[in-house]
Amino acid sequence: MPSKPDAVWYRDAVIYQVHVRAFQDSNGDGIGDFIGLTQRLDYLEQLGIDTLWLMPFFPSPLRDDGYDIADYYSVHPSYGTLDDFKAFLNAAHQRNIRVVVELVLNHTSDQHPWFQESRKSLDNPRRDWYVWSDTDTRYRGVRIIFVDTELSNWAWDPVSKSYYWHRFFSHQPDLNFDNPAVREEIWNVMKFWLEMGVDGFRLDAVPYLVEREGTSCENLPATHGVLKELRAKLDQQFPGKMLLAEANQWPADLIPYFGNGDEFHMAFHFPLMPRMFMGVRLEDRKPITEILQQTPPIPDGCQWCLFLRNHDELTLEMVTDLERDYMYDEYARDRSMRLNVGIRRRLAPLLENDRRRIELMNGLLMSLPGTPIIYYGDEIGMGDNVHLGDRNGVRTPMQWDGSWNADFSAADPENLYSALILNPVYGYQVVNVASQQRSPHSLLSWMRRLIQVRKSNPVFGRGSIEFLYPGNHRVLAFLRQLGNETVLAVNNLSSAAQAVELDLSRCKGHILIEMFGRNLFPRVGDLPYLLTLGPYQFYWFRLRKL
Amino acid sequence: MADESILSDELIRQLIAVGEVDILVGLPTYNNAKTVAQVVQAVRGGLLKYFPRDRVAILNADGGSKDDSPMLVQAASISDARNSGPLQTLRTLHCISTRYAGSPSAGSALRTIVSAADLLQAKACAIVSPESDTISPDWIDTLLRPIYRENFDFVTPVYRRNRFEGMLVTNFLYPMTRALYGWRIREPYPTEFSFSYRFGNQTLNSDFWHQDPGQNSPELCLTMAAIGGGYRLYQAFLGPKARVEQAAADLVVAMRHTVGTLFWSLAQNSTSWKDTTEIHALPSTGAEYEVTTDSVRVNRKRLHQMFCSGVAELEPVLSSILAQQTLLELKRLCTVVDDQFHYSDELWVRTVYEFAASYHRAVISPDHIVQALVPLFRGRVYTFLMDNRESSESEIEQHIESLCQTFERLKPYLLELWATGQGGS
Repeated sequence: MPSKPDAVWYRDAVIYQVHVRAFQDSNGDGIGDFIGLTQRLDYLEQLGIDTLWLMPFFPSPLRDDGYDIADYYSVHPSYGTLDDFKAFLNAAHQRNIRVVVELVLNHTSDQHPWFQESRKSLDNPRRDWYVWSDTDTRYRGVRIIFVDTELSNWAWDPVSKSYYWHRFFSHQPDLNFDNPAVREEIWNVMKFWLEMGVDGFRLDAVPYLVEREGTSCENLPATHGVLKELRAKLDQQFPGKMLLAEANQWPADLIPYFGNGDEFHMAFHFPLMPRMFMGVRLEDRKPITEILQQTPPIPDGCQWCLFLRNHDELTLEMVTDLERDYMYDEYARDRSMRLNVGIRRRLAPLLENDRRRIELMNGLLMSLPGTPIIYYGDEIGMGDNVHLGDRNGVRTPMQWDGSWNADFSAADPENLYSALILNPVYGYQVVNVASQQRSPHSLLSWMRRLIQVRKSNPVFGRGSIEFLYPGNHRVLAFLRQLGNETVLAVNNLSSAAQAVELDLSRCKGHILIEMFGRNLFPRVGDLPYLLTLGPYQFYWFRLRKL
Repeated sequence: MADESILSDELIRQLIAVGEVDILVGLPTYNNAKTVAQVVQAVRGGLLKYFPRDRVAILNADGGSKDDSPMLVQAASISDARNSGPLQTLRTLHCISTRYAGSPSAGSALRTIVSAADLLQAKACAIVSPESDTISPDWIDTLLRPIYRENFDFVTPVYRRNRFEGMLVTNFLYPMTRALYGWRIREPYPTEFSFSYRFGNQTLNSDFWHQDPGQNSPELCLTMAAIGGGYRLYQAFLGPKARVEQAAADLVVAMRHTVGTLFWSLAQNSTSWKDTTEIHALPSTGAEYEVTTDSVRVNRKRLHQMFCSGVAELEPVLSSILAQQTLLELKRLCTVVDDQFHYSDELWVRTVYEFAASYHRAVISPDHIVQALVPLFRGRVYTFLMDNRESSESEIEQHIESLCQTFERLKPYLLELWATGQGGS
């Protein structure tokens, strides 16, 4: 465990998102496992991250990559045993790396024993653990999330001859959170893992827990009631643990998930992410500043989680039609890259493998207000494979070196859970950890340095933000401030060199210290502060009055 | 390379903020607060509707307005530094304003805009009049699309006008330009037009900017440059032309700007127009002409009187400009009663060509030559009004077409005058 417990540790954290299956296979079966993940903890420690977010690793038929849980109290046999998990957890804690486990509360697999019992008969004690109906006309008008695969939120169950409610795939029936027994059991699940030592949960799909007629069945007060109940128990019995919400909503709709500081500690800022990509493509800061202007303040102790890419598609639900069309045209001209309402691509291919843009985007990720999340492989610029179907193209094995199966597994290649990336640009022979570790100028080395600089100053995790709005709209400049500590971030979103004049009059007399090279820049005087930036260049300056 | 000295340091600072653009819309103003807000809103609406993904900016070149014209333009900006309301736009829209040096002049305003378009590398630039209160957002698309999407270099407008508006255009500018240069450009002296980066860049080096025609009627000079330079021309129907009330005395100024500039350009472009024999239609969008037949109050009797008194008073001047036969015919016209007065197409064309040749020969000062044509033009207007009192839209167009053909048929006469230096009696 980290030596100095801090109740709001998550605000300073740099999170690394990983799927056990994809990281390291220790037993040669072609599937990553906890022993393998444990073996790679040194790498993660050297990278500088301090929190791991593990995607669902529970027993599951894996029809949705583990988001269809069939047993909340165990580990999928492909990934190892509960003891393997405990050993991993201990090893992570020894390296001051916290572990956040992803739980899917909204639904289970239709293979979960709870559902199997529920469907058996109308008088089964677990009948009311799911949302059943004699017709498929209830909750009419509620949007379908997986529009590419599902036609309705109701599915017919031939066993119990009635319909069950599912907001995601039809093999993922929604739990009935109006049932106190369900809520109690879910808390038991969380308690089970907390007692083992996990540091928090990323709770998946939380807006959909409760249904009510005549509503969108999203973000309902009763859903918040369920979440507050869980948080209260968490605070009471496991202080210092953290809850992270996955709620793909507009900022104003997300705020209630923080409650009055009594619901989630953190929530993903979904609308910001596509706008970062938009801003860089448009070469205009407007999409970024606009969405942050529209983001209401959050309660003390709460924090946004920021990310560039994750295991899902780059979701375009939280953008306008105009913006969505633009994003599709600019980032997914090939229609096979589109999935549901989003784009299924990794960071490097989205940015055309442009090192400067990759650095700029990571710089933004690490300097805008929030806790950054790095998706595994993006720190070395891994590619994707849109031909693998669904979102599997961004879930391929981690590329450790140029040897057999990228040193991910000793299995025969055809036995791997997923094909490796093999193309000449992103293939594992070219893009891998070993080769990048050998170069001080590699993306991996640069990412290490970036994380190091970010962690050198708490202003990034906890400071306020103030945008400067220079006349040059291609430049995004803002001040982060915490107590006497001030950092100035200046980002050129454009592909061409830019000059910018910054109004730093309130910082008159301060010296600027560039945080990566620690070089001094001229003192702020009476005139606007003139800076020039190369294409996609960014600066972080620490302001000191000496 | 563009002459950048016309751009102030303050404008340069603003242009740095704007950066490279795809499209620039220029708005020259001088005390246009009454109408400019409406115009700039339409421009902004057009840019957002038709070019939502492109890098666009609006540049106001102001001549030192005493009203709020520049502020009204700047207020249309869309940026993250101010609350723009519920607009759904992808990009920042810069609406910037600059006070160009010197006294108000169309030339300085336009040269500022053309220079800025060049510096910003604008692929397409449209100029819009601040008085065009009939503008709709569609105009922006109509003007810019041929340049931006179809690689044309210069787009001139066609307006829906009242049959008796723009008679200097219908009776002089359009037919003479067409006859000389071979292009059916309905509005050679446009208040709205657009041009490509290539055209703007190459035109910046032109001498006309430093001469009176370039200062007073740069729009016409640009049209002449587009024709003379072999650029790809296009014509686009916009819609109704805004009615700008003008006093009778403005005709002298208007003729100085139109007639004077066209006459002046003949010497500049003599290699271009002398050899032109064929008449070409322009690639175009929409109607080639549109007129309305609403009644307009015109004091025809006064026109007739001014013609007669002008011919009498200016006879010594006219005799140095016109051929003897032409002057005799004009004098004869002064003797007939007004309902028998008819200043024929042929006589009018001969008059114009003889004036053009005299302008070239500089028999008297250019200004005096143009002023001497003013009463004669009034006589011609009188005839046009009388001929078209009861005409339908198509009949009016037939009359204009007939005049054009007369200009074309008599072009050899101008060439002869030009070559031999003949003229006044």
